[in-house]
Amino acid sequence: MEGKINKQLKKVLKKIVKEAHEPLAVADAKLGGVIKEKLNLSCIHSPIVNELMRGIRSQMDGLIPGVEPREMAAMCLGLAHSLSRYRLKFSADKVDTMIVQAISLLDDLDKELNNYIMRCREWYGWHFPELGKIISDNLTYCKCLQKVGDRKNYASATLSELLPEEVEAEVKAAAEISMGTEVSEEDICNILHLCTQVIEISEYRTQLYEYLQNRMMAIAPNVTVMVGELVGARLIAHAGSLLNLAKHAASTVQILGAEKALFRALKSRRDTPKYGLIYHASLVGQTSPKHKGKISRMLAAKTVLAIRYDAFGEDSSSAMGVENRAKLEARLRSLEDRGIRKISGTGKALAKTEKYEHKSEVKTYDPSGDSTLPTCSKKRKLEQTNKEDEVIEKKAKKSKIKIKVKEEEEEEEEKVIVVEEETSVKKKKKKDKKKHIKEEPVSEEEPCTSTAVPSPEKKKKKKKKKDTED
Amino acid sequence: MGRLRLRASVCVGPSGAAGSPKRSKSRRRKGPAAVSVEPHRHEGVFIYRGAEDALVTLNMVPGLSVYGERRLTVTENGEKLEYRTWNPFRSKLAAAILGGVDQIHIKPKSKVLYLGAASGTTVSHVSDIIGPDGLVYAVEFSHRAGRDLVNVAKKRTNIIPVLEDARHPLKYRMLIGMVDVIFADVAQPDQSRIVALNAHTFLRNGGHFLISIKANCIDSTASAEAVFASEVKKLQQENLKPQEQLTLEPYERDHAVVVGVYRPLPKSK
Repeated sequence: MEGKINKQLKKVLKKIVKEAHEPLAVADAKLGGVIKEKLNLSCIHSPIVNELMRGIRSQMDGLIPGVEPREMAAMCLGLAHSLSRYRLKFSADKVDTMIVQAISLLDDLDKELNNYIMRCREWYGWHFPELGKIISDNLTYCKCLQKVGDRKNYASATLSELLPEEVEAEVKAAAEISMGTEVSEEDICNILHLCTQVIEISEYRTQLYEYLQNRMMAIAPNVTVMVGELVGARLIAHAGSLLNLAKHAASTVQILGAEKALFRALKSRRDTPKYGLIYHASLVGQTSPKHKGKISRMLAAKTVLAIRYDAFGEDSSSAMGVENRAKLEARLRSLEDRGIRKISGTGKALAKTEKYEHKSEVKTYDPSGDSTLPTCSKKRKLEQTNKEDEVIEKKAKKSKIKIKVKEEEEEEEEKVIVVEEETSVKKKKKKDKKKHIKEEPVSEEEPCTSTAVPSPEKKKKKKKKKDTED
Repeated sequence: MGRLRLRASVCVGPSGAAGSPKRSKSRRRKGPAAVSVEPHRHEGVFIYRGAEDALVTLNMVPGLSVYGERRLTVTENGEKLEYRTWNPFRSKLAAAILGGVDQIHIKPKSKVLYLGAASGTTVSHVSDIIGPDGLVYAVEFSHRAGRDLVNVAKKRTNIIPVLEDARHPLKYRMLIGMVDVIFADVAQPDQSRIVALNAHTFLRNGGHFLISIKANCIDSTASAEAVFASEVKKLQQENLKPQEQLTLEPYERDHAVVVGVYRPLPKSK
């Protein structure tokens, strides 16, 4: 079919054609080439061949004796369907309606089972109420009931395989002194029927659950690995089909199942729910309540990838799901460990926050406004500032404040400030220190009128001040 | 315009030759409104006259709707017949019929090769028309649509699904015998070549073809009429002789259907 020679074709060709020693008319040029290669038969492919083919095809019914047109049609139909199926890789395993039906049935069964059990307990409770209080497990209750039936038979019956020793003894004791009514044979019969039903349905439920697990693994292995069979099946059922589910965005999958809460919150402009059906996934279940929202978001994002892989991907391996789950689990662990620290932050972010904290410190008291002494000589100040240049160079934000302060000052005060700055030097940024340095000589020159040394002034402010001075 | 022609053809044209006696005119008074099904000029197609008129075909699988279309049950001579409405906005063939095409050549018992079957909506109507004795080979390349097509084909045994590229008719040559009519709705720029290839391989001498041309698809810059003219020319070169052409207004824009006959020169054999 795809340009290769089938074994049967080979056989036929070898047998019939080789003996005839005639060229073979081939409709498909590629096939002709291959035949020529492998079997050394000369093949013809030309428009004439096409016409021949047309003729043969038209007379097909007549040429092949003994085959009715109906049979031919049936053969064509069957062949076409199987070819189509091969094309689509249509396997009955991959139908997701099974999942939707199975999960709905599971829910229905649970409801029904609960109803029947409640009824059973109540009904039998008229006859033997104590049993209901002693045995809390529903299935055991029914099995017990089925075995014994009437209260009188409890003494003789053996319930050792159903109940542990003490409970059995309790039951037998209670049977002796029970305050329930007497019931006739038919009544007990009916109750027993009900019990049988309950037990059957319970067994069917477990079987159905296994079936569901198998189907989920076959149809959507990656989703099963990520969120589990039940949650995966519920998601598929909620969306309608695996393909529909694949069309949803990750944020939708996250809150699928919580639509009522979602729209209520949207309408009243409150916080929308953080999880829907995904809440029941094991990954979300095992985290602390604080991180459930985060994990739910991450899980939804990766799950959506798994869903799309399962819906549209060609192979059905769960490698991708396993990988993603491992990633998620690693992230979960780091989340739990670090707690306060952000997962997405880096060391720098941490440092930045610290820096900011420092920035908001209180301004220190500046005693420069205290002194009213006349300013000292300039030279001394200049020397001092030169010494302190390097020291001050490594300061940061504090200098900004200092600059402002400085501009208001008079010369004498600068000396004090300079000293202060010396003491409070911190080795951080350079820029501001340079500014500071520039400011220093400028402001120092303010009061001095007879300065012969031209200061290396670059800023306009300084010039202005000079002008005012002069 | 289409409606008017329809009525005219029904009243004036010969309707006696249409189908088996079962499907003759039936009048069944249902209160004030007369609900009836009349056969159309084309065999196998009917008109449902009720509150609203509709183009219908007789449902080969009663009780089932293929793509959610409305089903109408009419009791005729004590027998209940179910018809399915045919939407001309979704189906080019229905639009052509309502537009008043002269001949569709698809009749009961004919063999049809349908290129571009998509999900099988129009194919199901063709299957209704040709009845259980005819055969329609539905070729569709897309897997998604092919899946739906296979599901339709499961219910109707006169549809043979072929999930191959129509550009390579040799790939499915073992599935298809000679056909009477080719219907092509592929919407590809090289659709004339596709139809020609398939016609050379599968269409019998004197067979007919119906091609739906979408002007935008062939050449979106040229005007629609120019595109149609060039397509017709291409067809003529391949020995596909066009006989009629009509546009599908008001159902589709810049679409045309070309109907013609195929008769290759007989070569010495």
